[in-house]
Amino acid sequence: MKKLIANALLSATILAGLCLPAAAQDTLNLPNMSYRTGPFAATGTPHQNGQLDYMTMLNERDGGINGVRIAFDECETAYNTEKGVECYERLKADGALVTQPWSTGITLQVLPRTNVDEIPLYGPSYGFSAMQDGKTFKWAFNAPTSYWDGASMIMNALSEGDLDSMNGKKIAFLHLDHPYGKEPIPLFEKLSEQHGFAFLPIPVGLTEMQNQSAQWLQIRRERPDYVIMWGWGAMNAGAITEAVKTRYPMEQFVSVWWGAHNPDLKLVGADGKGYRALSWNFTDSNAPVMQDIKKHVVDAGKSQIDQASGEFDSMAYQRGVLMSVILAEAVRAAQDHAGTPTIDQEQLRWGLENVNMDEARLKELGVEGMMGPLKTTCANHTGNAGAWMVEWNGEEFVKVSDLLSADRELIDPLVEEEAAKYAAANAPWPMNDECSM
Amino acid sequence: MLYRVAGQFKTSYQADFALFPVRQDAWLLGFILVLAFVVFPLTANEFVFRALLIPVLIYSLAALGLNILTGYAGQLSLGTGAFMGVGAYACYKLMTIFPELNLFVAILMSGFVSASVGVMFGLPSLRIKGFYLAIATLAAQFFLVWLFQKWGWLYNYSASGAIQVPNISILGIDFAGPTAPAINQYFFVLVMVTLITIAAINLTRGRIGRQWKAVRDMDIAAELVGINLMKAKLLAFFVSSYIVGVAGALFVFLWRGAAEANLFDIPLSFRVLFIAIIGGLGSILGNYLGAILIVALPVIISGVPAALGLPLTPATVDHLNIMSIGALIILFLILEPHGLARFWAVAREKLIIWPFPH
Repeated sequence: MKKLIANALLSATILAGLCLPAAAQDTLNLPNMSYRTGPFAATGTPHQNGQLDYMTMLNERDGGINGVRIAFDECETAYNTEKGVECYERLKADGALVTQPWSTGITLQVLPRTNVDEIPLYGPSYGFSAMQDGKTFKWAFNAPTSYWDGASMIMNALSEGDLDSMNGKKIAFLHLDHPYGKEPIPLFEKLSEQHGFAFLPIPVGLTEMQNQSAQWLQIRRERPDYVIMWGWGAMNAGAITEAVKTRYPMEQFVSVWWGAHNPDLKLVGADGKGYRALSWNFTDSNAPVMQDIKKHVVDAGKSQIDQASGEFDSMAYQRGVLMSVILAEAVRAAQDHAGTPTIDQEQLRWGLENVNMDEARLKELGVEGMMGPLKTTCANHTGNAGAWMVEWNGEEFVKVSDLLSADRELIDPLVEEEAAKYAAANAPWPMNDECSM
Repeated sequence: MLYRVAGQFKTSYQADFALFPVRQDAWLLGFILVLAFVVFPLTANEFVFRALLIPVLIYSLAALGLNILTGYAGQLSLGTGAFMGVGAYACYKLMTIFPELNLFVAILMSGFVSASVGVMFGLPSLRIKGFYLAIATLAAQFFLVWLFQKWGWLYNYSASGAIQVPNISILGIDFAGPTAPAINQYFFVLVMVTLITIAAINLTRGRIGRQWKAVRDMDIAAELVGINLMKAKLLAFFVSSYIVGVAGALFVFLWRGAAEANLFDIPLSFRVLFIAIIGGLGSILGNYLGAILIVALPVIISGVPAALGLPLTPATVDHLNIMSIGALIILFLILEPHGLARFWAVAREKLIIWPFPH
């Protein structure tokens, strides 16, 4: 009958267990929602190591950003949306300057709250493509590029710039059956209407990631001209091994950037030759930034990376580094604008809207050739950096294209349409009226 | 001493069968209600509301629903997660088709959708029992999650396949959606959970509850003494799925704010089942104790190393967390196989005869 005795215990635990430290004023609190455990740890860990190591390097080399040390704390989510809620609340209470949700599912939950809690959400090259529209999504950023940009660039590369040449062809879209995997479908459908190719979505459920025989049977039966993969975690390795097993021609197999993941390809080695992926970053372990990380972090024993497996030279690790490079640039922009090295959420939001990484700046940062130039504005929260096609040569990824760019006339109206739809569904949704671009 | 029952005389049958035959039980409950309705809202911050209080209440409610079916009526079910999903999607459709609808009413109504689906999948229970019935409910689990993914109408054909909770207010007070303050949501959930718990207590100690228990303990004997098995079992499925459906609607509307079909997959079913088992099958209180152990304790433990200043990486903390919760579960089940509720019952017995144990 003491049905709510539960709460008595609860009160005791709250008093005992909750020691939320107050936000320290003299650090930049830039936490990350990591997942080093769970089914997606294989792709999560190297990215998050890269992010963390760059920030550690800034702390070691420069004493932080403009003299203020960075607190890059991690909150473990295991890619679980429930833990995402918990982490979000915990980090918010700690005075986080930014939310880095690292999952489209968590982004979905957090995005509507950004306007209320006024914490910028930074999802580098993931999350909603419509977040590009800064007038609608005042607090959300997905620089350097979005999934729709990625889809458009892949199609441009496959058709060598002439999309009409795809007429009559068949494209299979192997994707994770999850908000993330479904994200680019509207764009592909629009392209398929305009240019007359057949578009065939093939979903892979979360439980079938490691056994995709049904999907690849369908691919063999349908004989598509290209398979485009939108996978994550164990799904990519599953698809690549299955493609090798069924002898699907690797030249016709293309993935979004998350598929440019060295350990997945090492499983098949030379059999994976010809596999391509679109990647907005490229590895250069001799770049000044990587050498600094090696010197100040890795060799000093402050990194969690697995050196024996070559993680340092991998696409994923260096992609993580670049994600932090962009965030640090935003912090710098915010500090310059605010005139103070200790910034708040609103100032960081301004900084994220004013990231300007042109060729000269990329060179100064020591990341030349690792990513394309990028410029965000208050109206464009993506910045639309380009991307390269990279190809697996049996041992490593090599660049096989120039810097590609997405079809803006195609994407921008779609972004506007989706953003308006989102705002309507979440009415009353405050728009960013300060932005007059 | 604290629990002295001497002097509390019962002079009528009615008094002997009262909800609180021992006066101290009523005081304790009153104290807990004061905590829940007054003290927590005054002291808790947003983190405590959203990461501890609200999820514990919602999971307790889901486990309560399952407990009626499994603990009281003895029908094993592995489809709880999917029935929660039915409640959530039903509420989403109701609120998007009729935006003017009162959220409280919508959630109560969506329970009926879940209840009818539950009865449908409960039909096999008339022929099959035990583990075989568990497999039949597992089919419900897989089928319904598949339906949530494939039936675009359910999620209003949104590109991501996920449902998003719009801003909903009742009498000008925000209760759901991004603008709703956590304290409003907490009160909404608390009132709902309290009402359903009172109903469940009275249901399980009355005529229907006794029928369920008879069916659970031996269904042939129950049939021989005149209990209509079909009615009793289907009613258990109805009531159970109703509560589970309401819990599902609360889960998405008052807590998560957004959901995709995978959320309602089998891990959620297992989680609720574990709460019911560890809390104690066939008890109401157990659901709350189980939810505290499974839902709230990991959140609290994960904050301990940081509070003590231990330099552990978050991944290590997470691993330690999983290990310690696992160890606790095993420990509790070895010490008291009937769950945490039985723990409390034993402790209460001891308190009543203390300090003179026989």
